Amino acid sequence: MLHRHIVALRTDAPGAEDLAATRERLRDAFPRNATRRMTQLGLLLGGVLHDLAPTENDTVVYASVYGETRALEDYLTSFPTPSPTLFQTSIHPSGIQQVLIARQQPIRQFFPHTGQRHLLAHAVQSALLSPSPRTLLCGGEERGTWLLEHDAASGDTFAFALALSSDSANALGSLRLEQTTAAESALEAELRLPRFFSALVQREPLSLPAAPGLILTLSWN
Amino acid sequence: MPSAPFSPPPIRLTATGCLTALGDAASTHAALLSHQRALQLHPVLGRDGGDSVPLALLPQRSLDETAPPNWLAHLDTLGAQIPAADWGSSRLPVFVTSSNFGVGSLYAFQRTRDPAHLASGTPFASVDRIRQHFGWGANVSILSHACVSAHLGLLLATRTLHAGLADRALVFTFDFVSPFVAGGFHALKILNSGFPAPYAARDTGSIGLGDGAAFAVLEHPDASPSAPNTFLLHAQSLYNEMHHFTANRADGSGFAACLEPVAAAARDQRLWIKGHGTGTLEAGRLEAETLAHLFPAAPLVSWKGSLGHTLGSCGLVELALAVESLRDGRVPGTIGSEPPFFRDNVAAEPFSTAAFDAVLLTSNAFGGAHAATLLNPD
Repeated sequence: MLHRHIVALRTDAPGAEDLAATRERLRDAFPRNATRRMTQLGLLLGGVLHDLAPTENDTVVYASVYGETRALEDYLTSFPTPSPTLFQTSIHPSGIQQVLIARQQPIRQFFPHTGQRHLLAHAVQSALLSPSPRTLLCGGEERGTWLLEHDAASGDTFAFALALSSDSANALGSLRLEQTTAAESALEAELRLPRFFSALVQREPLSLPAAPGLILTLSWN
Repeated sequence: MPSAPFSPPPIRLTATGCLTALGDAASTHAALLSHQRALQLHPVLGRDGGDSVPLALLPQRSLDETAPPNWLAHLDTLGAQIPAADWGSSRLPVFVTSSNFGVGSLYAFQRTRDPAHLASGTPFASVDRIRQHFGWGANVSILSHACVSAHLGLLLATRTLHAGLADRALVFTFDFVSPFVAGGFHALKILNSGFPAPYAARDTGSIGLGDGAAFAVLEHPDASPSAPNTFLLHAQSLYNEMHHFTANRADGSGFAACLEPVAAAARDQRLWIKGHGTGTLEAGRLEAETLAHLFPAAPLVSWKGSLGHTLGSCGLVELALAVESLRDGRVPGTIGSEPPFFRDNVAAEPFSTAAFDAVLLTSNAFGGAHAATLLNPD
C-alpha cells in the first residue's frame, strides 16, 4: 500500500469568471507583469501553488485531461498563419510551466500526466511513489468554447494542489492507494478529476476503485 | 556505484524496438551507419502548402491526417515486436508517453469539420484507440512532457517495478508529425528550409521533424537471471530549469544539474553519448559544452540530422537505436553535420563500441526540461 499525509490543500473553482477577472483576482500571487500572457488555467494553478511554495527538491505531479484548452482552440484557429506563442502555450504541461517560469523556480522531478477515466489514480500513484520529502499533486482544467461543443474540452474551470508528506505533523488527511485483484474485473472502475476535486472541496472521504486494480482512499482528520 | 538523487536502483531492459521513417530498429541502425538521411522537404501545411521544411514521415504516410489516423496501421509492425503478455493487466502496466498524441486529428477536424477526426483528437482518445488496437487492458498510465516524455515513462515504470507493484512494465511511445506541430515549429522559425546539422557551429540553426514510435519492456533485476542481450538502466536523472519556455540558462547550469548526478554514477566507466542534438544553435552549443566538460573522453552523437526530431518519442526511439548499436558493435555518427563543431567531442563518423562500457542518453525539452539515462550491458 502506498500512503502519504496531506499537509496542505488549496482549491479554486471560479465558475463563470473570465480570464481578465481571474488575472485581477490572483495578481498578487505572481511577480509583477508575469500574468499578462498567462492562461486562466495557468493563473489558477499559480494561485493554488502560491502558498505551497514549490522548491527544487519537491516532486511535482500534474494532472489534466485537456490541458491548455483555450490556447489549443486559439492556436488551431490561427492557421494558416499559426501563432508561435499559442503553439508553445498549448503544449502540455504549459500550465505548470507558466507558473514556475514566472517564479524562475526549477524543479528536479516533474511528472505531467494526462488521460481521463484513470488519470487521477495514476497521477496519485506517481505522487505516492516519489522518494522526495514532499510531493505536490496538482491539477485542473479550463472551460472550453468550440472544442467543448464537440466534447473535446472541459465544461468546468478549476484547479487544486495538495502537499503530500511522509510526516504526519499538522496533517489534514491522508491519501492511500492499494493494489487489489478484487477490482481486477471492475473495468468500469474510475475516478475522474472533477469528482476528486469535489471531494477535496467538500472534505469528503472517498474509498473506491479509482482504476482497475487500484483502490484509492482519501480520508480527513 | 553512487546514485543520482531520486534516481531509482537499476532496472533491467529486456526488450526494445522502434519505428522510424527508415524502418524498424535494425533497418534504421543500418541506414544510419550508411549515412542515409530520412528527412525530405515537404510543404509545412501538407495539402495546404506553405514553405518547404525537412520532415521524415513513415513511408506512404501523408502529413494530412485521416480518420481513423493514418499512423495507426503502421504501429502493427512495432506491436509485433512487443513480447506477448497480458499488457494492461494489474501486474503488467503500460506507460504510454507522447507529446502530440492525436492532435493531428484535431487539426484535421478544424480544417474539414469532419467529426470522424474527433474520435482520436484528445490524448485519452488516441491512447484508448491504441490500447484497443493492441488488445491491452485498462492499466495504462499516460505521461506527456514534450521531448522528455519517454524518459518519464521509463522512470515511472522503474519505480513501479521497484515498489513491487508490477511484474514487468511496458513503456510505449508515439509521435507523428502533422501540420499542427510542423506549423508551430515553423512559426518559431526553427523549422525552416535548412536541414539540421546537430552540434555544427554555423550561422543558422535548423531542425527537422520525424515520425517515431518505440517500446521498452522493463523488469526487476532480481526477477530472473540476466540473459544475453539484456541491459540495465543504471541511473536516471531529471531536471527542469523553468527559466524560459524556449531557452536555457545561458551558463548551462540546467544541463549540468541533470548530468552531474549521472556523471557520479558513471564514474570510472568509459562512455559514449547519444545526445539530444536537434540542430538548434544555442541549446546545441550548451549541450555539447556541458557534455565535453563532464565527460571529456566521451564521443557525442545525435541522429536527428537523419531521422528528424521525433518529439515525445525521441528518448525511447533513440534508446532502441543505442541498444541496436551495442548489439551490433557499431555506433552511427552524427549525420548531416560536419566540422567545425561547437566542441571536438562530436563524432561525425561511425565508431566501434568495443572501447566503451556504457552509453549515456540525453534529451531536452521546452521549459528547460532535461533527462538523462545511463545504459549498461547487463
